[in-house]
Amino acid sequence: MAVIEVTGLRKTYAGLTVLDGVSFSVGEGEIFGLLGPNGTGKTTTVECVEGLRRPDAGTIRVLGLDPVKDGRRMREQIGVQLQQTQLPENLKVWEALDLYASFYARPRDWRELLAEWGLADKRDTRFAKLSGGQKQRLFIALALVGGPRVVFLDELTTGLDPAARRATWELIKRVRAGGVTVVLVSHFMDEVEELCDRVAVLDRGRVVAIDSPDGLVGDAHQMRFTLLGDDEVELDGVPGVTGVSRTGNRVVVTGRGDFATAVTAHLARHHVLVSELRIDKRTLEDAFTALTGRSF
Amino acid sequence: MFKLAFVETKLLTREPGALFSLLIPLFILVVFGSSIEPGDTVLLPMALAIAVGLVGLYLLPTTLAAYRERGVLRRLSTTPVRPGSLLMVQLLLQLVLAVTACALLVTVAGTVLGAHLPTAAPAVALVFLLGTASMFAVGLLVAALAPNGRAANGFGVLLYFPMAYLAGLIQPRDQLPELVARIGEYTPLGAFGQSLRDVWAGTAPSPLLLGVMAAYAAVISVAAARLFRWE
Repeated sequence: MAVIEVTGLRKTYAGLTVLDGVSFSVGEGEIFGLLGPNGTGKTTTVECVEGLRRPDAGTIRVLGLDPVKDGRRMREQIGVQLQQTQLPENLKVWEALDLYASFYARPRDWRELLAEWGLADKRDTRFAKLSGGQKQRLFIALALVGGPRVVFLDELTTGLDPAARRATWELIKRVRAGGVTVVLVSHFMDEVEELCDRVAVLDRGRVVAIDSPDGLVGDAHQMRFTLLGDDEVELDGVPGVTGVSRTGNRVVVTGRGDFATAVTAHLARHHVLVSELRIDKRTLEDAFTALTGRSF
Repeated sequence: MFKLAFVETKLLTREPGALFSLLIPLFILVVFGSSIEPGDTVLLPMALAIAVGLVGLYLLPTTLAAYRERGVLRRLSTTPVRPGSLLMVQLLLQLVLAVTACALLVTVAGTVLGAHLPTAAPAVALVFLLGTASMFAVGLLVAALAPNGRAANGFGVLLYFPMAYLAGLIQPRDQLPELVARIGEYTPLGAFGQSLRDVWAGTAPSPLLLGVMAAYAAVISVAAARLFRWE
């Protein structure tokens, strides 16, 4: 069953089209990514789904509920971490969790969350005194305290150092392992590649592709080498090869599947000597450039 | 809702601004109180107006604008509790704070300083209610218009001093130019201060000034509600 169903979402601000027919659906237990550069409509999309904004057109169903008409019932069952929100400076960690737990009909025990998210020793610390990573962990804990079926995490790791980002990724995997569907908004390729089961790529208010990160990247690879002699090489007929380009002695071969093995075998058979052989996997970034015709 | 009120109360007690709103008028009262005659009817109304003015013009808008700026109201919009609840809780709390400040002033003035305390309780309550409502309305308008907590703080202070001057809280009314004093009487803080002095002097508050305060409270709070942005 689809946990989130979005169809034909449109939103215009002061004549500027921010969302231009966004559609996607998120299955139960998925980590679903919304990926795109800043200012491409990711946050507007997710804020419409959360019920914070009203779209000009389109339909949204979250757990079968309309975020505008059934807002209260929907909000009972979702957890949200917003970009750039803070808590009151003097609010202590336990007070924040206790307070947010009181908003929901069937909250989780916040003491459990405190331990689970490594905040037990920060229990009595005021929000202003927490480190960036601790604040993020508190925000995730607050998003989970209502016992939600879906959580929305918007640019969760922006501003964190690499170690803290990796740690946060592990935490997000744990959230899903606990049976919660996760919608992740991100402009980090590595984050999406690491975490998401499926990704919607947004560009200029449109969804240009929805697939798994591997599916988006495809199995296209690139192979480069330098010819040691002046031999002519004919690689076009080798299985899997999709393109060959040569500049002087430098050769770049692109292909699919196991083309690299076929190419090396071909070279060996024809006694062609090469050096500096490298095989590169295409990245999500390459895929994005190919999809949108512009660099990320 | 109860827990929200409880947590907000705790936060208010951790807010140095709240303590200032209690202590500044008390400080003024005690400093000038040493030189008043027993049965004085001027100093206490002045201190009360200052206390309510500080809460309404300074503390209330600063708190609300900071909550919006920090995204606290937006975050609350994603929970089953509406952000309007937080505004209601804050208004009630600030009202409690204003009442506390005034109770403190009345107690100190009545016991230690021997100042006059009026006996017409209903009139005092009415004047306090309307005066507080009009000051809070101005505070809400500042909160609605200020882009962030710091700006709200600045606007509040910028408004407070001219209003306090016009109300005769900075220098006595009879030392103000006649025209300024006349105009001042019809400002929210001026009408409040004058009505308090009337009650303290044992006369009934002027219906015109009560109407002026009620009108300010109604018109300005409607404007604030229309202009208020949640984010």
